[in-house]
Amino acid sequence: MDRSDHDRQPHPREDEHEFAEERESLWRITLGPTIWAFHFAISYAAVSVYCFRFERMFEMGWLRAGLIAMTLAMLVAIAWIGWRAFLRWDVRGTGEFSNPEGSAEDRHQFLGHAGFLLALVSFIGVVYDTLPLILLGSCR
Amino acid sequence: MTDRSIPAGELAPEGIYPPTEEMLREPVPEEVQRGQKERLARVWKTPEGWRYWTAVNNSEVGVWYTMTAFVFMLIAGVMALLMRLQLWVPENDLISADLFNQLFTMHGSAMMFLFAVPMFEAISILLLPGLLGARDMPFPRLSAYGYWSFLIGGVFVIGSILFSAAPKAGWFMYPPLATLELGIGSDIWLLGLSFIEVASIAAAVELIVGALKCRPPGMRVNVMPLYAWYVLVVGGMILFAFPPLIAGDFLFELERSFDWPFFDHTRGGDPMLWQHLFWIFGHPEVYIIFLPSIAIAAMIVPTVARRPILGYSWIVLSAVGTGFLSFGLWVHHMFTTGLPNISLGFFSAASEAVVIPTGIQLFAFVATLIAGRVVMTLPMLWIAGALAIFTAGGLTGVMVAIAPFDWQVHDTYFIVAHLHYTLFGGMVFPVIAGVYYFFPFFRKKMLSDRLGRWAFWLIFTGFNITFLPMHLTGLLGMPRRVYTYPEGLGIDWLNQISTAGSFIVAAGFAVFAWDIVRPKKNQPQIERNPWGAGTLEWSHEVPEAKWGVRSIPHITSRYPLWDQPEIVERMDAGRYYLPDAEEGLRETIVTSVIDARPIQVQRVTGPAYITIWAAAFTGGAFILPTFHIYGPAIVSAAFAVVCILYWLWTSTARPPEKDMKDVGLGLSLPTYAAGPQAVGWWAVWITMLGDATAFASLVFGVFFYWTSNTAFPPPGAEHASGYLVALATAAFAAAWALTRGARGLNRAGRVGLARGALALAPLMTLAGMGGFILSVLDLDPTSHVYPAMMWALMVWIVAHGLVGTIMQGYCLAGSLFGKLTPRYDADLWNVTLFWHFLGLTALVTGAMIGLVPRLM
Ligand code: HEM
Ligand SMILES: [Cu+2]
Repeated sequence: MDRSDHDRQPHPREDEHEFAEERESLWRITLGPTIWAFHFAISYAAVSVYCFRFERMFEMGWLRAGLIAMTLAMLVAIAWIGWRAFLRWDVRGTGEFSNPEGSAEDRHQFLGHAGFLLALVSFIGVVYDTLPLILLGSCR
Repeated sequence: MTDRSIPAGELAPEGIYPPTEEMLREPVPEEVQRGQKERLARVWKTPEGWRYWTAVNNSEVGVWYTMTAFVFMLIAGVMALLMRLQLWVPENDLISADLFNQLFTMHGSAMMFLFAVPMFEAISILLLPGLLGARDMPFPRLSAYGYWSFLIGGVFVIGSILFSAAPKAGWFMYPPLATLELGIGSDIWLLGLSFIEVASIAAAVELIVGALKCRPPGMRVNVMPLYAWYVLVVGGMILFAFPPLIAGDFLFELERSFDWPFFDHTRGGDPMLWQHLFWIFGHPEVYIIFLPSIAIAAMIVPTVARRPILGYSWIVLSAVGTGFLSFGLWVHHMFTTGLPNISLGFFSAASEAVVIPTGIQLFAFVATLIAGRVVMTLPMLWIAGALAIFTAGGLTGVMVAIAPFDWQVHDTYFIVAHLHYTLFGGMVFPVIAGVYYFFPFFRKKMLSDRLGRWAFWLIFTGFNITFLPMHLTGLLGMPRRVYTYPEGLGIDWLNQISTAGSFIVAAGFAVFAWDIVRPKKNQPQIERNPWGAGTLEWSHEVPEAKWGVRSIPHITSRYPLWDQPEIVERMDAGRYYLPDAEEGLRETIVTSVIDARPIQVQRVTGPAYITIWAAAFTGGAFILPTFHIYGPAIVSAAFAVVCILYWLWTSTARPPEKDMKDVGLGLSLPTYAAGPQAVGWWAVWITMLGDATAFASLVFGVFFYWTSNTAFPPPGAEHASGYLVALATAAFAAAWALTRGARGLNRAGRVGLARGALALAPLMTLAGMGGFILSVLDLDPTSHVYPAMMWALMVWIVAHGLVGTIMQGYCLAGSLFGKLTPRYDADLWNVTLFWHFLGLTALVTGAMIGLVPRLM
């Protein structure tokens, strides 16, 4: 099913196969927000189940510690995703902040830029969502 | 010549791409152009006379859709005026309490379900092919089917108020009020709106596939119009937001019809589950309404600023970011329900976080306007008004997102004021801006600048006169949804101001509506690009040409009309792709997702009655049960299935007359696609994502009961027969394996074996369905929510199994009658994909019925 060879746009840096369409995916820019979604869902579910079912069985401290550890791991993951995306954007290499041209290179850098910004927002979102865990110590 | 040994779905494009400047410069001879135009015109002709209504073209269906949604909006507006009249003086007896309840419920429901969401889909259907230089949407008959369903369902729901049979429990239908309500009001809401939601999802699927796969060659993701990005995001949100509501409707209607106690706490149920399911839908819904307006603004702002938009990536970020974050807010509608504070904290946090992307979008627009040379056109005036009103609504929104403040104003007129500020600023004004801006594109006529300014100032001032005082009315303690109030609370004069204001708004709408419908025959022919915009839709032909684009261009820039000189002449001359319709078929080009490389010529469907019939029978299947008429409802559903099968059989994935087609500029494309290359496969994939979300909501329900109710399952409860559940699950697994196997066998040319597998598979499915039914047969679903939930899961899997069997039979018939062959196997790919989802659903159902409750 390889239709890639004969119908790609020619471009000065065409031979750089890192810009090939096959290596790109729209899903990739949503990785950061997806982690946020999991963070949100897991925190909410864990706290709800705890408060309704297990409040009397063990201290909330354990749950909070576990969730905060999860948060840290996820923040690291988002930061890494953001960093990778930042490299793809390559703003330091090209000096271009926006990539409005219809070339493979610009599309590649655009996806990097969008992924980077989304990672940033997801990072902030995860931090926000963790505040209640830090500030509030009990179910009430 | 093409190689007959390769499956048609695996053929690759041949020839030159992208086109060189030389090729594009070469003129097309006059007489060739004339012949091409003649053929195109014949193929894309709109049917005449009463056959006009069989049209499926996006330019017809889109207009019907927008006008219908607009009319529903006006009707809902009249209901609002009636309510305001009732509230003119204290202790008024113009309208009874009962009718008032019906009025606010219908006003809210109609505005949200019959106007706000459908309006986005309607405008997008109208606009998207133009923006993308496509001839039509990928599935025109699906749009038509969606439209007719919307019309039937909408008339049914909104008409109920004439018989005083309308729902009256508020637009979010909280149980136990709504479950206990006598009469058929709640059923009308549940079934009528479910019907419309299904149509909404169908439209969303079509729009997503359109934006992903029907872009013009060369329009990579970083140059596609922002509107298309928003279509993707909003379509995705519809796909994940509506299914939980449909699952909720499903449980709710089972309770109303058969007394299965999902929301009845005396038998273990819990009304809170409805609140969760409703608001998991309801909050994203707010953004589903709001983002398309931003999308409209994103098209208007660069045009009036005479420069490319600033911060394209930032806007994409905020669209996608808002899409995600908006799913983390739903509980802020439930701050007063006694959930643990720490849980509320998460939702407060996300509610504040979503402000960031929303703010970024607005900043990008303001920055573009400042950097450009703004021309204050009429559309821009409406955008400016929208910005002002929305900002005010946003301020009160941040206030009510703080839980303690919300505890004060919950269910008062403060909320009514807040929600109308966000809805008018975030939806009504931008949509009107869009109508003024795009009207020349839709109708090839201009709206009146003078009338438009009148309408603006009337609506803008009237709106503020109506709703600004309501903040105070609310703080003074007037609750919402009351049909009257006693004298002497200090709110009489506030209510009078509001009522007076609402009639000014109405006057404004009257002016606007008149401007739209007034005859424009004598208006001189308009300019082709009256606003001097840079995006592709303004390459449209004036007077209108039904073929959409004369030829499908090669795009290399975000604003092709500004940056690619001569593009319009070349399109007109038929220099680009698909300038002709030699075979007499409607066609458009399908391209790859990221870079929009041309990969296929898609034959799209033409005018048909069958879509109307299909919608009518589907309507019967939803509407008759409202009156507890089940037999005819089932018959109607069966007819709907027959209609849909006929439509699919006669017009989709038929083997083409030739495998490759010359599309111009030295490029040949395959005319058939199967599997992930095919738009149909994408449609199935996306639909099933929504279906899986609905199923996940049911599973969420099981766990929800487990956390909220210490006796779920009740001690000593009878469980479903584990034995039968295991057998049923195994039978579904076998049916899945047979289907998947049939695909491989068929491809390999082992047609006989494939048919055998396809004949055996439905039998296995039926066995599986029977097993699930028998496994829960001994449980009494009315006795407690636990058996009721098990039954609900069973009904879900059995209904899907039924669809699965039909699909297997469809493929078997296709194989027997030559529609499906080893070379042309798209149907089998799509059915297999469906079965991947169904197999997984069966597995989870088996676990949820047979295993999990025993461990709980
Ligand atoms: C002329 C313009 C409008 C007026 C005068 C108006 C007036 C009202 C009134 C009086 C209520 C009932 C308040 C109560 O008793 O609690 C209401 C509720 C509501 N309105 Fe409007 N409205 C207008 C436009 C809109 C629009 C354009 C939308 C949405 C796009 C909308 C959405 C709603 C919703 C969702 C409710 C809540 C219904 C409920 O409580 O169940 N309204 N409106
Ligand atoms: Cu909300």
